[in-house]
Amino acid sequence: MNRKEQQIQKDSITVEYLFNANKHRLKLKCLTGDTGFDNKVSDKNIHRPGLALAGYVELFTYNRVQVVGNTEIRYLNHLTPEKRSQAYSTLMKFDIPCIVITNNNQIDNELLELSTKNNVPVFKTPLETTKFVYFISDFLDDQFAAQTVIHGSFVDVYGIGVLLTGRSGIGKSEIALDLIERGHRLVADDVVVVTRKGEGILMGAGTDLVKHFMEIRGLGLIDVRSMFGIRAIRFQKRVEVIVELEDWDKSQEYTRTGLDNLTMEILEVDLPKVKLPIYPGKNVTVIAEVIALNYLLKHYGYDAAKEFQSRLENAISEKTRMKNRVIDYFEHDFE
Amino acid sequence: MIEETVTVKNKKGIHTRPAAMLVKAAAKYSSDFTIIKDGMEINGKSIIGVMSLAAEEGAELKVRVEGEDEKEAFNAIKKAFETGFDED
Repeated sequence: MNRKEQQIQKDSITVEYLFNANKHRLKLKCLTGDTGFDNKVSDKNIHRPGLALAGYVELFTYNRVQVVGNTEIRYLNHLTPEKRSQAYSTLMKFDIPCIVITNNNQIDNELLELSTKNNVPVFKTPLETTKFVYFISDFLDDQFAAQTVIHGSFVDVYGIGVLLTGRSGIGKSEIALDLIERGHRLVADDVVVVTRKGEGILMGAGTDLVKHFMEIRGLGLIDVRSMFGIRAIRFQKRVEVIVELEDWDKSQEYTRTGLDNLTMEILEVDLPKVKLPIYPGKNVTVIAEVIALNYLLKHYGYDAAKEFQSRLENAISEKTRMKNRVIDYFEHDFE
Repeated sequence: MIEETVTVKNKKGIHTRPAAMLVKAAAKYSSDFTIIKDGMEINGKSIIGVMSLAAEEGAELKVRVEGEDEKEAFNAIKKAFETGFDED
């Protein structure tokens, strides 16, 4: 796991994909037939082309989805027809992937013809600009998010996303199965697709093909969903703790107090990691549950290791203090 | 470390049987075995991993073997690919 993980990241999506994925949710209507559906969107940000329409095209981020809201439409409407088509032609000089008109605003047929001629699809939505931008940014963020595949079992334990890793054959799937049996929920086994969402948030899910199937050595493939039911599975979950299973190695040192916090980096996000040596007879399932609960406690502000440490320190300083007390001799003096 | 691109030769692609064959071949060696397809990097010793690639005939896979017995392991894996997993 020391190797830098292979990242999967889309370079671009087609306008057709963007349109089809959002047409119901954002009530998109296409005003220009199927022209320019092969255009590529390669930027997760959107752009309001107000200044470009006014003629200022320096730093014009034309390769983004162009959102035309009330401001732009008002501006276009107050221009004379000649100026209006001139403004529009300025826009069309650029390789724009697509234009979205919000608030169901009306747009000149002449402008639509210009778009069709220049292979720029124009969509219309009844949503307000702010709402539309919110939804489409969310969609694009998701599409262009960094992804990687991790070999491990991913289980939701008491609401905490626990990712079990370790060499193949060490028993990740068996522990996952044991956790399911105890009422926890499987997210993915063997192939966990991790996506970075926002800053420092990693979401883990299975692939569409494998979803909730798992392999148990000596038994073969099993389908957790049909065997344990819908409550035993989960579609996706935030990755919160990594439990690295390894064979017990005498020469290695393992944490005894829990004060030294290990981390592991996935997609440039640091996650807390617990290194767990395993040997026959060790109940790793219960330990995995305790790890999840301990993580929860820490988030509620209680760190058992630190708590014990401060108790110990108190006890020690108390002793020193007692030693220095002069009146100690007189306290039990019943004379 | 040995890294090489191999091609899936049999008509049905890497379905269950070839996947099991690959995993079994790799499991005989201690070396780490990784397959990369379309940027997806999976552990070649996990049958679910290998199957999740859904590799079709003609698909090109990057195979990476790393460890003490990497040469022997790589030869066994390469042979499985070259013989089309004893199919067709």
